[in-house]
Amino acid sequence: MTTGIELRKLRKLYEGHGQGAWAVDGVDMTIGAGKFITLLGPSGCGKTTTLRMIAGLEVPTSGQILRDGLDITDQPVTDRDMRMVFQDFALFPNMTVEQNVTFGLRVRRMRGRYSEAEIKKRVFQFLDLVHLADHAHKKPHQLSGGQKQRVSLARALVTDPQVVLFDEPLGSLDANLRKIMQIELIRIHRELGKTFIYVTHDQDEAMAMSNAIAVMRGGKVMQFGSPRDIYDRPANRYVASFIGHAHIVEAKVAGRDGQGLVVSLGNGEKVRLENENSAATGESVGLMLRAEDLAFGEAGPGMVSGNVADSLYRGEYIEYVVELNGGAGVVHVHARTDLPAIDQGAAVAVRVNPHKAHVLAH
Amino acid sequence: MSSIALSAGENAKTIRSARRLDRRRMLFWVVPPVAWFTVFMLIPYAMLLYTSLGRVEDMRFIPGLSLRNFIQVFTVDPYLSVIIKSARIGLMTAVLSAIVAYPLSFFLAFHVRSSRLKFLIYLLVIVPWWASYLVKAYAWKTILGSGGILNALLQKAGLTDEPVRIFLYNEFSVVVTLTYIFTPFAVLSIYAQLERIPTSLIEAARNLGAGGWMIFWRIIAPISVPGVVAGGIITFSLAFGDFVAPVLVGGPDSVMISNIVINLLGVAFDWPMAAAIGLVIITLGLLLISASGWLEEKTQIRF
Repeated sequence: MTTGIELRKLRKLYEGHGQGAWAVDGVDMTIGAGKFITLLGPSGCGKTTTLRMIAGLEVPTSGQILRDGLDITDQPVTDRDMRMVFQDFALFPNMTVEQNVTFGLRVRRMRGRYSEAEIKKRVFQFLDLVHLADHAHKKPHQLSGGQKQRVSLARALVTDPQVVLFDEPLGSLDANLRKIMQIELIRIHRELGKTFIYVTHDQDEAMAMSNAIAVMRGGKVMQFGSPRDIYDRPANRYVASFIGHAHIVEAKVAGRDGQGLVVSLGNGEKVRLENENSAATGESVGLMLRAEDLAFGEAGPGMVSGNVADSLYRGEYIEYVVELNGGAGVVHVHARTDLPAIDQGAAVAVRVNPHKAHVLAH
Repeated sequence: MSSIALSAGENAKTIRSARRLDRRRMLFWVVPPVAWFTVFMLIPYAMLLYTSLGRVEDMRFIPGLSLRNFIQVFTVDPYLSVIIKSARIGLMTAVLSAIVAYPLSFFLAFHVRSSRLKFLIYLLVIVPWWASYLVKAYAWKTILGSGGILNALLQKAGLTDEPVRIFLYNEFSVVVTLTYIFTPFAVLSIYAQLERIPTSLIEAARNLGAGGWMIFWRIIAPISVPGVVAGGIITFSLAFGDFVAPVLVGGPDSVMISNIVINLLGVAFDWPMAAAIGLVIITLGLLLISASGWLEEKTQIRF
């Protein structure tokens, strides 16, 4: 028996305009208890539908949802011990902040669990947790977006659910507020130790907060792993290009030497990778090169050569667009801003970090 | 220094000319609504007031400044009692309309998923308005009358041998007919309010473990109050001022205030009295609208 949530071959068919489409197409995933898991992907990738099926707001077309080993696929939404935080906050507009948070403690299932005095105490304890105790008497329309989202969070947490589901909760907040709320969510997750399942299309958010990320596309999970795994060792080209700013250069596996895998680019230049052992000699692969893993250096063996096509001043660094010699591909290179600027068209040599470059199967 | 003084003088001049321009622009925007208001509201009401202060002698209008007509509205039978009865019929119609309209609006807002079906039902609610009011009122005669559909059904079911005569030509039939005719207004207003409730609100409540009744009483019902009030004001006002239903399906004792006004105008030729009643009703109406406007504002939910 596994504790936590297990999704088995979960599928959901959406009927629309006479033809059906798989919104979720065979998702298998195990979400350990107490973890912070993110479903990440562009809109329409099935992440929200997956979350809503876990919540019980959508019925799966096929497949199973298990909770601590028990099948809950057909359990009604009202009986699932999971709370959802909605993108549009979904606060009850006719109630005050306090009444909103109290609502979940007054449903039939919770009756008798807490006394009236305990309810009041608990509500304020959770309003304190989200720093809103001073706003208890206000109506939702008197709050800012960030405050509304915190009420929504308190309302979800106050009933002591073991699982909290988040449907793009920060989507409608501005960038600064989003950063503050991310830190808040990490803190709350750490303090309460609940399972958080989080849906977002924002990769930075996913990277910063999660224990594990499921990158989704077309209703399927492309890769499920830790943020570091997904960033450094993406399973395929889609994940590589969706996460971070990776450039993929076509290459062929030339062979192996004592230090690792050697791949040759289209122009014959060779690059050594130290952490790779998955590819066979002669195989065509994509070489993933991230800007921060590349640096300019002196021309010589093991270096990749090219010309600067463009440069972009980013404040923290200068981003150079480098066209590799012989049409082997394009990479971006980050350089410190205090180094002398390199002119457009100048010939450069680029050093590839052998620990970070990664090959992707075709 | 002199250049500063000069520029200050110039400045004052530009401000003056800007003000002139502003005033001219303002006239352009202000005159049409004021003219409209004067022609269609102020003058008719002034004429009404002028008429109500005069009297009629030998079928001729004699201008005056007497409040006699207004005093009569409140002292001479049956004016006040008929106003009260009209208000009662209006209120019953408003309440019945809300009772009929609420479930339909609820069904339309929460249970009809397909937008095409929604539109179709919406249309079915509106379509009766393509038929003449008179036809619809007559239809109730054929339903409620002693030889009508209702009696035929009752007799067939063996519930009665004789035709039951209590269905038609009384206050009951007036209220039923008015309810039938004005319910669409209640539906539109309640539906519009229910439609504003986002699905996520219901989902959030279910997610928190709330059952259907709790969701209805704690969330949907409170949010729908302003819609019910707005619909109630419309149906009450329309039913209160109605004069066709009392004539067609009402009995001798179900005369409403509009019927009296019509009689005063046409038969008795007492225009001043009719004008006085009209002004009293308008004043009561304004009071009602401000009271219900206040109530609507009080109960309105901001999302």
